[in-house]
Amino acid sequence: MRGSGGEPALSAHELVKHYPGGRNRPAVRALRGVSLDVRAGETYGIVGESGCGKSTLARLLVGLEPPTSGSVEIGGQPVDVGPKVDRRALARRIQLVFQDPFSSLDPRLRVEQALAEVLQVHGLHVERRDARVAELLDMVALGRRFADRYPHELSGGQAQRVAIARALAAEPQVLVLDEPTSALDVSVRAEIMNLLVRIQDELGLSYLFISHDLSMVRHISDDIAVMYLGLVVEAGRFDQVLDSPLHPYTRALADAVPVPDPEVEEARRDSSAPTAHSVFVEPAQGCPYSPRCPLVEPICREIAPVLLGTGDGHVVSCHVASRDFGAKLSA
Amino acid sequence: MSAAELSIRGLRVGIAHRHGVDEIVRGVDLEVASGEKLGVVGESGSGKTLTMLSVLQLLPSPLAVLGGQVLLDGEDLMHADERRLRAVRGGEVAMVYQDPMSSLNPLLRVGTQIVEALRAHGVPVEAARARTREVLGQVGLPQPERIESSFPHELSGGMLQRVMIAMALSTSPKVLIADEPTTALDVTIQQQILDLVSALQAETSMAVIWVTHDLGVVARLVDRVAVMYAGRVVEQAPTRKLFARPTHPYTAALLASLPGPEIGHRKPLHQIGGTPPDPAHLSPGCPFRARCPYAIGRCAVEEPGLIDRGSGSVAACWREPELWES
Ligand SMILES: Nc1ncnc2c1ncn2[C@@H]1O[C@H](COP(=O)(O)OP(=O)(O)OP(=O)(O)O)[C@@H](O)[C@H]1O
Ligand SMILES: Nc1ncnc2c1ncn2[C@@H]1O[C@H](COP(=O)(O)OP(=O)(O)OP(=O)(O)O)[C@@H](O)[C@H]1O
Ligand code: SF4
Ligand SMILES: [Mg+2]
Ligand SMILES: [Mg+2]
Repeated sequence: MRGSGGEPALSAHELVKHYPGGRNRPAVRALRGVSLDVRAGETYGIVGESGCGKSTLARLLVGLEPPTSGSVEIGGQPVDVGPKVDRRALARRIQLVFQDPFSSLDPRLRVEQALAEVLQVHGLHVERRDARVAELLDMVALGRRFADRYPHELSGGQAQRVAIARALAAEPQVLVLDEPTSALDVSVRAEIMNLLVRIQDELGLSYLFISHDLSMVRHISDDIAVMYLGLVVEAGRFDQVLDSPLHPYTRALADAVPVPDPEVEEARRDSSAPTAHSVFVEPAQGCPYSPRCPLVEPICREIAPVLLGTGDGHVVSCHVASRDFGAKLSA
Repeated sequence: MSAAELSIRGLRVGIAHRHGVDEIVRGVDLEVASGEKLGVVGESGSGKTLTMLSVLQLLPSPLAVLGGQVLLDGEDLMHADERRLRAVRGGEVAMVYQDPMSSLNPLLRVGTQIVEALRAHGVPVEAARARTREVLGQVGLPQPERIESSFPHELSGGMLQRVMIAMALSTSPKVLIADEPTTALDVTIQQQILDLVSALQAETSMAVIWVTHDLGVVARLVDRVAVMYAGRVVEQAPTRKLFARPTHPYTAALLASLPGPEIGHRKPLHQIGGTPPDPAHLSPGCPFRARCPYAIGRCAVEEPGLIDRGSGSVAACWREPELWES
């Protein structure tokens, strides 16, 4: 059964990641204190601004890079990064499907070699390795004819599916998926989503699902966090966050989703002024969203808001949203 | 209709080997006029990227153009010499590649790469630097100075896509070809980019080809849509018409795969049954036949060409939509 409670499958505690600056270059504070718990057998969705630190978070969670501070635990055990790490054991516990599939596939390995290598390293399906490779290709809707292709002989969506098959090959407990369906047509996307849901239900895998595709994040996630500039600005159950968003950035996201209906889009285009191509400078203090925020008040430019709960697990980091929510409760 | 700025005629792409040729793109016709936005959607692996790469003769070997024409404002690019092609690439025709990492040099700072590209088209160095700063700002990149002095691996997926778009727009091209250019952008920034492209187009009458899987983006941005399946364009129609009344069963099936509000949380999403054919080993008849709910005897024998369906649309299907249910 899913969501059986108990120990979280994956948790992050106050993760901070800074990349040092260089010659006339400021340092980058990619993550500024992110905490989250992925419950066993469940999906935790992450959405957020481009460049807000989602892929950085993914790399820290699977131990590819050390955090500047903070820690990661998988099934209650801390993940260490360093020379002494048992990479092989870690790979059975957690796998990452990279945002850029081409850069994560070895250009010298044919698809079947790439998959067989994973099986071999972990001693999986020793007696029936070829059959397992074929199974994995079928699972991601590719079929055997792709077995002897090199990565450069694949289309974008085909490479993305090979990357997913490769992560599944290790049979990990936790799968971190960074934009796993961005290069797929809607039918193949449906097929991959159905596969992910099915194997989660069957095997109790836990997912961290990062995507800009709000409809897919909503479809698969139990919980969702919204990130902005290295911070979680809103989190809660999927329906709380996406159906009743509290943070103005989450609302802007929900409003900007393009609808596959030209009449709706035309009406929208005629009614709204085109968005200015403005560049938002990160404020020295106060709320990181304040330069873009339509609800901004003087306090927002002074004091950074913190994540506050609404009582039922829905949290938001916004002065105005928290105040309005409080007022609604006491009314 | 105004004359086509870019037209692709009968394009065939494939791999030649001892036993013959494997044809992957099997006769594609596409046209885009100046001031027009054409969307290209379709099956993953149907040949969208290979078609776009052929326009600028950028196919990696052993892939090669087997036949067909590419005309830029009437000029035959297939027979242009290398010098002329270099001038066209990133000049009159700019391309945003599906995989930014493979088209940027990993060892050079991003700003240097845009400046160099501009200089290759004759822009003096100071002007190139100013223009680089300007276009990086236009695509909404925060801290343009930091972005300029970063190496590609130091930028996020969506930052790289915006760098690619900025680079493409920097030379004010006559034709912009963008291959899945906004998959790594959040929807607010994506909207900003779509608005920017529309605004620039109104200003400069650029012709735009936008390849995407996002049917919402298609609805928002483009005037006309071409749908590709198994190496061919199987339907082409004005955007409104395509969504309201698709006339090819693949298009209809694709639209039916969009998740509607009736689908419950984590419940199975609609997908098209069956598997796409191997373009190199097609059996005779319509390539969609095995997955098509409306196939008739003729579909197994003869491959349909594009047939006029009225109101500016064409579809490669033997069956009129009116008869699908009968
Ligand atoms: N190796 C690095 N050196 C310097 N800065 C880096 C490095 N890796 C990432 N960054 C910076 O960290 C920030 C977060 O990047 P990240 O890739 O995590 O964003 P993201 O949320 O995944 O964005 P997208 O949605 O565009 O993929 C960005 O400002 C990026 O430039
Ligand atoms: N070098 C190659 N050798 C053999 N087949 C190739 C080669 N390069 C591409 N292909 C095949 O050609 C077909 C068309 O590829 P293309 O990249 O144009 O697809 P696409 O429509 O852009 O798909 P996507 O939406 O997934 O990006 C694919 O099936 C791909 O596997
Ligand atoms: S030609 Fe026949 S098989 Fe092909 S799409 Fe039309 S009805 Fe279906
Ligand atoms: Mg990313
Ligand atoms: Mg492609």
